Amino acid sequence: MAATTTHKITIDPVTRLEGHGRIEIILNDEGNVDRAYFQVPELRGFEKFAQGRPAEDMPQITSRICGVCPTAHHMASTKALDALYQVEPPPAGKKIRELIYCTFMVEDHALHFYFLGGPDFIVGPQAPAAERNVLGVIAKVGVETGQKVIAMRRKLRDLIALAGGKPGHPVFGLPGGVARPLSKEDQQQFRSVAAEAVEFGQFSLDAFRKLVLQNSEYVDLIRSDAFTHRTYYMGLVDSQNRLNFYDGVIRVVDPEGKPFASFTAAQYLDYIAERVEPWSYMKFCFLKPVGWKGFTDGPESGVYAVAPLARLNAAEKLATPLAQQAAEEYFATLGRPVHHTLANHWARLIELLYAAERMKELAEDPEITDPNIRTIPTATPREGIGVVEAPRGTLIHHYVTDARGIIQKANMIVATQNNAARISLSVEKAARALVSGKNVSEGLLNMVEMSFRAYDPCLGCATHSLPGSMPLWIEVRSHQGERMAVLRRDSDGSIHRE
Amino acid sequence: MDPSTASEPERVRLLGLGNELLADDAFGLLVAEKVAARMPELDVVRSSESGFALLDPLTGVSRVIIADTIQTGNAPPGTLYFFDVSELAASPAGAPHGAGIREVLALGRALGLPVAKEVWIVAVEAADCATLGGTMHPAVAAAVPAAVEWILAAARGLRRPDSARPARSPR
Repeated sequence: MAATTTHKITIDPVTRLEGHGRIEIILNDEGNVDRAYFQVPELRGFEKFAQGRPAEDMPQITSRICGVCPTAHHMASTKALDALYQVEPPPAGKKIRELIYCTFMVEDHALHFYFLGGPDFIVGPQAPAAERNVLGVIAKVGVETGQKVIAMRRKLRDLIALAGGKPGHPVFGLPGGVARPLSKEDQQQFRSVAAEAVEFGQFSLDAFRKLVLQNSEYVDLIRSDAFTHRTYYMGLVDSQNRLNFYDGVIRVVDPEGKPFASFTAAQYLDYIAERVEPWSYMKFCFLKPVGWKGFTDGPESGVYAVAPLARLNAAEKLATPLAQQAAEEYFATLGRPVHHTLANHWARLIELLYAAERMKELAEDPEITDPNIRTIPTATPREGIGVVEAPRGTLIHHYVTDARGIIQKANMIVATQNNAARISLSVEKAARALVSGKNVSEGLLNMVEMSFRAYDPCLGCATHSLPGSMPLWIEVRSHQGERMAVLRRDSDGSIHRE
Repeated sequence: MDPSTASEPERVRLLGLGNELLADDAFGLLVAEKVAARMPELDVVRSSESGFALLDPLTGVSRVIIADTIQTGNAPPGTLYFFDVSELAASPAGAPHGAGIREVLALGRALGLPVAKEVWIVAVEAADCATLGGTMHPAVAAAVPAAVEWILAAARGLRRPDSARPARSPR
């Protein structure tokens, strides 16, 4: 390579509050795309940070790692403590946890669909960049719908606060159960909001049908090759292989949709391996039994996906009737398994409806107000692994402690790490389709963003820094680091070349 | 009280944003704590949340002062910025996951929610917001008292961002 000239293009979307992702595109000497990479600024120092702390503090501490999904970290950590202390929560304890968790999932999925993914699918991929934002969404769906989303969110958050502590600092999970029982009055509130949430889920799916499915251009885009990868899919399922966000076994299906593996959280290291690339500080997960074959799809490659699309593929069915019906329509339209990345938005709405229906089931369960909510741990701790489905995919916490419960070793696999290799595939495909020579197509920005948002990657759990001045830029550099061209998009959507 | 439905027009709120586990990102929370100790009557909210979760603390008062970190890469760590939210670059329309303060405010206004009319920001240039358990850069820690004094004056109505700007805004 010494004699050839390579050029590097970097796309750096700096988000205001959630860190930033970076895309690097390396051109060969003909000016065509050689490789493209997706990177996130991974949090550093988790293991060192955890060492020496009492494991019992971890559900509180880890919930503060991420400003986006504190409830997911809190729950994964609490379940790791169950395993660490070898304690099984009583039925009411488990049900209260799952009820709060489903409430959180409804809220998170709703916000994503309307306000974060909405610019692509509600406003539309062809709309001018300046309209592809939250105001464009409101203009399209109407103020009333926007208010409905905000009102729903408020009620869901109030429920989380009621049963679980402040949504930003959940405190309900304890090893062996939860901190407080659910009163009859609490139950009544959950029942009433859950019924509304189910209606809201149906309303949102109807909106999706009208805005997206009735528009053949959108459907063609979803099905287009640029957004399609035939990979493995992972998700948590119950004993009947039905989707579950809170508990179960991790199920993996192959690119044909056939069952490939089922394993418990405790076995995760036999199935999930991490790969470090010299050019990235990001760890890329792959399926250990398949092996790493590079950034490529197909049955020979250990690349897999998590999050809504993957979860629906990995589960045989959904446990609630309306969501199951919606899933059948989804698979009838797109085939099974669904390999189209942009279908994540549709899958997310089906999951929203599932979470709402599951909330309703749990809220109506007479056992949920049982005061027996905790099994007090008595065993000597040694090692514990916990898993949940975070909104953005499978989340694993793993602690090893001494006999006093002081952490010696800790590991965490977050959703975006599971998806990182597939996100890189998507970026590369978009880049190959659009980049030729040093003339970077402005369409690349749009394509890449659409891939990003479908995965809903969490770009660095919880960096709160305000942004610099340049929201999105592509930089072309020679191998000597000389800046050759810059394409910049400002916050108002305008694009400038320098 | 439900902050999204009630408005007290004269009220000022200090919103400290950040994460005390992540080195310099503790700045906004630390500043908020110190201001609260000096001015107990002030409405102070500390939050580690982000995105649309910030709709709540930006609602129900007429003015919000935000203390946060910033990474422009164009100034040494510890540099303080004081500016009005209108000077802040919004999240790009295509931000993959985030929602900016300006976007949250725009959403609130579009939906007729009582979001703050004025939002002032006090931000410090941070060196590291990604190391769990990391220590604060000495220059960032040294900027805390000046940020506290500015906020106290601003909360008492003595200052506006454009009349007291020891450092340039990040745009």
